[in-house]
Amino acid sequence: MADIFVAPKHITVPNDSEDMHAFSSFCQNPKGVRFQTQKSHETIILFLRSHFITNVSWIALSFILIALPIIILIFLPNFGIDFLSSETLIRFTTIYVLFYYLMVFSYVFISFLHWFYNVFIVTSERVVDIDYSDIVVHNIAITNLVQIEDVHYTQSGFIPTLFNYGDLFAQTAGEMENFEALSIPKPREATHIIGDLIGKGPSAG
Amino acid sequence: MDFINSLNPIFWIKIITLVVIAFYVIFTFVVFTQTKVMAEILHLPSAQTVIKIISIIHLIFAISLFIGALVIL
Repeated sequence: MADIFVAPKHITVPNDSEDMHAFSSFCQNPKGVRFQTQKSHETIILFLRSHFITNVSWIALSFILIALPIIILIFLPNFGIDFLSSETLIRFTTIYVLFYYLMVFSYVFISFLHWFYNVFIVTSERVVDIDYSDIVVHNIAITNLVQIEDVHYTQSGFIPTLFNYGDLFAQTAGEMENFEALSIPKPREATHIIGDLIGKGPSAG
Repeated sequence: MDFINSLNPIFWIKIITLVVIAFYVIFTFVVFTQTKVMAEILHLPSAQTVIKIISIIHLIFAISLFIGALVIL
């Protein structure tokens, strides 16, 4: 006989909440984290963002950019070019150097924001993917846990294996958007956590 | 035409510099508003305040640079 009423499966959320620091990339039951459309009874089970090691490229580039004007100003007089020979040149050089460093600061800040706000959240009901891809573009995708059909991860390469990070993919039913969390730490653990939640939680309707 | 020719090339460099910095000020303002929007979308207690302060400092620096360039150049 068909069921007339089926009670929604409740997901038991462990009480041991973790304190999240600014550079956390993998946090189970994070304390104090909330997102805009979060329901009052909805709890965050898993908080993911890219491994901090993925920031090394822009950090290294920033150090080069910081050192570059100093190197140029030291070596240019050897080639007979002096930006500090007259008062007008000193004024222009000062403004351009300050402007340059401010742009480097912008680059550092935006690169950090790009990492900081690219998050993947798994709640007791939904999967929320917040993409901060550009300074003027942000994309938020949400799907219910019941709509997730498959979750898998890939971890390939020397550095991802060394630092234990990889890409996680959550496939949704039908034509819906698939979810991906790139370069996240402990991808196997995250896949197991989401895999255990598949099909649970209230349905979309 | 004589008016344009009579102006020093330094003057035009100054104008172009100021225009570029003005665009940069607008850009930092966009960054500031975006951080505000993101703070509303996602509440992360650990660094939210610091990011807000940095974005304000970023904007203040850009405005200061524009004013500095206006005065110094």
